[in-house]
Amino acid sequence: MKLEKGCISGWEFLFSVFCFMQGTMLRSGFIISVTRNDSWAMAFTGLLLALPIVGIYAALLYSFPGKSLIEIDDIIFGPVLGKAVSILYLFFFLSLCALNTRDLGDFVVGYMMPETPIAAINLLFLLVCVYAIYKNMKTLLRLSIVFCILAVGAIVFNFILILKDVQVDFLKPFFRLPPMKYVQGTVSVTAVPMGEVLAFIMLAPMLKKSQKAGKPLLFGLTSSAVFMAVVILRDIITLGPLVSVVSLASFESVRYVSLAGVLTRMESLYAVVLIILFLFKVSILLYAFVLGLSELLNLKSYLPLTLLSASLVFFYSLFVFESVMENMNWGASTAPFFSLTFEFLLPAVSLLVACLRKVNSVSEVKS
Amino acid sequence: MKKQAIGAYRKFFKFLPIPFLRKYREWVRRAAVLFLCTVLILNFCACWNRRELNTLAIVLGTGLDVGNQPDTLELTAQVVRAGEMKSGGSSPDGSASAEKAFVNMQGTDKSVLAAVRGISHMANRRLYFPHNQVLIFSSELAKQDIAEGLDAFLRDYEARMNVHILVSKGKASEVLEEECELEKIPSVHISGMIENQESNSETVIVTMRDFAIAMLSGSTAPVAPMIEVHESGGKKRGKLEGTAVFKDGKMVGELDGMQTRGLMFATGKAKSSVITVDTKWGQVVLEMVHSRTSLEPVKAEDGSIRIELKINENGAIESNETTEDMSRLENLELLKKLGQEAIRSDVESALSQARSLSADVFGFGEAIRREYPEEWEKMKENWDEVFREIGLDVQVEVELRSTGGLTRPVTPGGAE
Repeated sequence: MKLEKGCISGWEFLFSVFCFMQGTMLRSGFIISVTRNDSWAMAFTGLLLALPIVGIYAALLYSFPGKSLIEIDDIIFGPVLGKAVSILYLFFFLSLCALNTRDLGDFVVGYMMPETPIAAINLLFLLVCVYAIYKNMKTLLRLSIVFCILAVGAIVFNFILILKDVQVDFLKPFFRLPPMKYVQGTVSVTAVPMGEVLAFIMLAPMLKKSQKAGKPLLFGLTSSAVFMAVVILRDIITLGPLVSVVSLASFESVRYVSLAGVLTRMESLYAVVLIILFLFKVSILLYAFVLGLSELLNLKSYLPLTLLSASLVFFYSLFVFESVMENMNWGASTAPFFSLTFEFLLPAVSLLVACLRKVNSVSEVKS
Repeated sequence: MKKQAIGAYRKFFKFLPIPFLRKYREWVRRAAVLFLCTVLILNFCACWNRRELNTLAIVLGTGLDVGNQPDTLELTAQVVRAGEMKSGGSSPDGSASAEKAFVNMQGTDKSVLAAVRGISHMANRRLYFPHNQVLIFSSELAKQDIAEGLDAFLRDYEARMNVHILVSKGKASEVLEEECELEKIPSVHISGMIENQESNSETVIVTMRDFAIAMLSGSTAPVAPMIEVHESGGKKRGKLEGTAVFKDGKMVGELDGMQTRGLMFATGKAKSSVITVDTKWGQVVLEMVHSRTSLEPVKAEDGSIRIELKINENGAIESNETTEDMSRLENLELLKKLGQEAIRSDVESALSQARSLSADVFGFGEAIRREYPEEWEKMKENWDEVFREIGLDVQVEVELRSTGGLTRPVTPGGAE
């Protein structure tokens, strides 16, 4: 089964980007531990830094309409080097997939089922992702609007409920940390959630007008940055200095909701929404990997690869980190550099080479 | 496309008796679906971490005392007995039910979690903390170290941050034994009592989150309400009175009721309060319904920082025990002035007590850190001394909106 072309609209693409980004909410803890009470601003500076990256993606998609990342690589770098670059991208998708699965497993094990082995959770989770891919990806992308309403609803609902316990003073003093911290925070935000929209280049041919993928990408990113700022803001004004001490700030602040002894224990709501968003995100990453792999191997259908890849992700997710501490250390120190290599460096080089060699899809057709 | 995939699978499963399967294909398919559904349903109960209700001991309150051996602490967990909750105060035949609706389980060990494990040696059910409502430290333990107990309760994935923290004057285990009439379980009574304190503003309401936030700050002194068991009518009852003040993780002193009210006025936590003022004709009681506080550090021309505290109270005349008509405007002005004085004296009394403990219960340090971070860097090293010296301007404004249901007091011959 090949990728179906032109089956989703720009709006669906936009909501998909939004849901994809919201799935990374859990990782906001890494930013908060760096920039403390100014973390909310990192959502916006991170977005600014992500603009050129999205620009590169949009330019690539514009010059090669209807082509996926793997095909673009082949066109730009030629059949051999192109394959090598594609393998690098695929490795990145696979890693992201495993890292996100691990994040979800750590979350469920850490907060809800401490005695359950993480393997059981990851396995069930990945099986659902595989199911989603089997049942056609475009359905999931179309459902993104529903997930989007769920996510936004949960954020707004929790925000309103916690309002009676917040203290806005916790935001002060503004921007008193050493400037390097802000650079670190900004790069983190750009690299870890925002740059991951790279996976959407694989999906862009599904758009009715794949040349115009830039706009939904940009608006999806902007709206998710706004909600990211809102969530971080809520955590800071609820937890104050505790925000950089607790391991999962947004979970703790949702947990604090207690209204008239009735509306309490809202964290299950949060957890459900989070798991749905994670599901969405990992499905897209897995799909990007599987699709890329099938294109690389010139297979007619990607379906037989799905279960195989999922099992690869499963084992990868099990041994990628030994503990939550290792995960946190990775997120705070190495992850941005790892991600930016694939998210920024490779596409930028691709675009540069494309410009220098003056290739585009039209000339490809002629030759 | 789908057919190709099926074909691939068929090739793969060649060793299976395919013709046989084909014959009963529909039947096999149904059986497989049924089997899968059953397996999935079995998974719904989350097999690994299942907790049946009848294997849980639901803890509603926890007390921490100093243990009888050196360097140990004693944990008292108040566990609800669900069966007794339902049966009512007295059984249908009229005789009072002797069974209490709770059990206090105690364990003594070197740390909180070890004590919890210790209790599991004596109980068939597992202590379940997510419904814990109060955490009571005995003042003896609080004076030694509070951090250890707190960390265990904050870190545990089951624990919640909105647990009320209290300090008991005597033993915490005795507080959890108090005899309350309106509730069946002392912990529920205590946590309800705390929530009810909004009506008098004489007891601070402190959750684990508030306490931890104050503790994390370098300058603010955490506070917690104090509870005491006293006997009245042959029954031991808990009573909330005063505030425990902490510094560097230890309890260093107390504020009494009036000082606590001063603290609440100054930090803007006061909701409604009752102020009794003495006029030359007798007592008048003012009820404050709304309270607005702004605590702001201001920088003087010479660079020194003063704290400006503006308290705005809004209330009504609640009772008038004199024969004088208090609705007359000049009397109203007098009452406002007296009310202001009462509030100011509360605040100043709290401040002098805080200064004598050199514990910044008001959060002046935090306010300065937020508004003047550069100056704060200079003064944070010797904040204790600065706090003792720092200037405080208190401006109190009292507004009296009404005289209640009466304009003049009901006095003998007052109609003439």
